[in-house]
Amino acid sequence: MNKTTRILTVDDSASMRALLLHALTSSGFEVAQADDGVAALEWLALNEVDVVITDINMPRLDGFGLIERLRAGDRHQDRPILVLTTESSDEKKQRARNAGATGWIVKPFDPEKLATAVRRVTH
Amino acid sequence: MKRITVLQGQICVSGDTNVEFGTVLGSCVSSCLFDSVAQIGGMNHFLLAEPPANHTPGQVDVHYGVYLMELLINEMLSRGAIKQRIRAHLYGGANLRAGMAPIGTANAAFARTFLDREHIPLLREDLGGTCARRVDFRPATGQVRCRTVESTLAPDLKPASRTDRRSGDVELF
Repeated sequence: MNKTTRILTVDDSASMRALLLHALTSSGFEVAQADDGVAALEWLALNEVDVVITDINMPRLDGFGLIERLRAGDRHQDRPILVLTTESSDEKKQRARNAGATGWIVKPFDPEKLATAVRRVTH
Repeated sequence: MKRITVLQGQICVSGDTNVEFGTVLGSCVSSCLFDSVAQIGGMNHFLLAEPPANHTPGQVDVHYGVYLMELLINEMLSRGAIKQRIRAHLYGGANLRAGMAPIGTANAAFARTFLDREHIPLLREDLGGTCARRVDFRPATGQVRCRTVESTLAPDLKPASRTDRRSGDVELF
């Protein structure tokens, strides 16, 4: 039996976290949640994860900063990081790509497309 | 005063004291958010779709609503608003026709729940009932005027759902 894929979602909106938790657990994933980039780094310092799904606009440390910090260390250089955002500009997308993001998803998200993306980046 | 009509599915944000947003609501809900310190305000206007038949009757598909609320808040933050200072008014959510699904009630419940979850104080609401409303909102000051109007003035319902939008497309780098 395969190991359950563990996902950390990072989003400052409690409503969005609730939607993500429901969608991802319904697809069979194990989900942990953080409400901004700083909380994500603190959680990741103590826990293992297979995929990170992060928003861009967040207080304290935004999604770009989170990706840059994770890629700068040894532990998360190859970790799939998906950006899930309301931002639709090519400039922001390119910035995420340059920071080291694995993929880009524009909200409102489709639960099935999101689950498919997670499976693609973990296999 | 420059008047801007906020149509269904739109968001508008401004800090201009000479701007007034306006909209007419039937079952739709409009959130008026403002930060009185930054003098930035914004309005959205949405009607959420009912989910597929296998879901609980009276529920709405909240994905699009969360998206429109987040879009509005992010646009305000990008212009200098601070989330902890944002205050809200909610209007609309009427059930104009007896015997139809209470979609207005479900939309109003969604909006209240969203604000509660995000810890955004709701200063005033005029939701529900059976009458259409006209709402005028001055974003820089947070001043709102809400009047009931003839239901025939309310726009036709165009429930939005993520299933009829090309939403959630995934691009892997």
